[in-house]
Amino acid sequence: MDLGAARDSEEARRLLSPASPLRRHYEELAANLAAEGGGARSIVVTAPEPGAGCTSVCLGLGAALAASGRPAAVVDCNLGRPHLHRVVGGANFVGLTSGLDGRRPLESYGREVLPGLLVVPTGPVTASPQALLEGEAVVEAVRGLEAGREMVLLDAPVVGELLGAPALLGGFDGILLVIHASRTSRKAAREATDDLIEAGANLLGVVLNGAYGAHMS
Amino acid sequence: MRSTDRDGWRVRREELPVSELLYVLWGRRGLVLCAVGLLVLAVLLFSLLRGPDYAAEAVVGITPQQQAAGGGEQEVFAEEVLGAVATRELLQQAARRAGWGDRVEEFRRRLDPEPSVTQDGRAVLRVRFRGDTPREAASGANAYAGLFVERVNELGKDRLAGGSLAAGAELLSAAAPGEAYLSYHPVLYLLLAVVVGVVLGGAAALLLDTRGNRWRDARDAEMTLRAPVLGVIPDHSALERKE
Repeated sequence: MDLGAARDSEEARRLLSPASPLRRHYEELAANLAAEGGGARSIVVTAPEPGAGCTSVCLGLGAALAASGRPAAVVDCNLGRPHLHRVVGGANFVGLTSGLDGRRPLESYGREVLPGLLVVPTGPVTASPQALLEGEAVVEAVRGLEAGREMVLLDAPVVGELLGAPALLGGFDGILLVIHASRTSRKAAREATDDLIEAGANLLGVVLNGAYGAHMS
Repeated sequence: MRSTDRDGWRVRREELPVSELLYVLWGRRGLVLCAVGLLVLAVLLFSLLRGPDYAAEAVVGITPQQQAAGGGEQEVFAEEVLGAVATRELLQQAARRAGWGDRVEEFRRRLDPEPSVTQDGRAVLRVRFRGDTPREAASGANAYAGLFVERVNELGKDRLAGGSLAAGAELLSAAAPGEAYLSYHPVLYLLLAVVVGVVLGGAAALLLDTRGNRWRDARDAEMTLRAPVLGVIPDHSALERKE
């Protein structure tokens, strides 16, 4: 196992394990989303810049929901930089792109990493990632996952790319913006927030990831 | 971990609330205090090096031999008289008379003769002088004012005999050591240092806060983005160390 794979495996353990010290923070996030999300069931998770931790937030939140008896799904929409399958382990032979033709439900291209938590990787990306995300097929395929699930989380590209994909931007119930406490620049975060609101996106709120020091909670 | 009311946060995005400004300043209070402290220290050092500084004023009345019309003309007249009389020689004599000897340049720096017009329309010359003691301040002002009066009157008499200046002068009020006042106010300068320190330190704090990549806490994110923070996920390594 190479170093990157070992790191991903360790990250998955931290996010999915019920004994993880991170769990209660994700439970708190899930509770706030349920209380303040206006009943949003499909949520696009994005960030101003790469490296803020969208995949981690999606998995941690999904795991917290599933552990409390509320089934959830996480879909990797980072067609340009697939990452989710590496974190949870497994191949990326099938996934979101496989389900865009509508022949089989998207659910059949994912796998349960925990009871009640379905993970759908990107699948093979042969066409232009941007073109795939612009179509309504993504919305239809992902909406199909809502049946029987409390929440569907879309691990989306960064805000700059999301703005060029109207189907992702406006096709779901809301957007969650992830900022990293030491990697996301304030300027980029402010611009991203302004851009999302100007584009008419339903910004549900912000997640501060990687917080440190005395104010970590 | 949610402290912002969702209703209304969007409509406030274009404003810069005072609460946000205060929050940033409080977050970087060390920087602001440093700026204030440095400026206060500079003022204190300046005050110590400079020492007390007193100013005294003598007033000389100038009377034209031909009656001038208005207040504006009176002031121009006073300026003309000062221009004609205030020579290097006068300055040297005044410095000697006040006990400054050959330190004419320093005497000149402390001297401030200002032509003006009184409320009753009379042209006057206000001679202000700064000294280390009230006595020194009064002595300098009186020496210059006295010599000025003598010189104007001499030139006025010469005019009658074909000279150039048609004016007379008299000392209206001599400078008294008891009336000398502190021309430099340390308390005022200290207050100014505090205000300038807060402004400079605050500007630096705002600049650092805008350009930085560090987020202190959820409130910081809410203030900066003006959007509700729904969750705070700690850095796992810090969290594991803590646990």
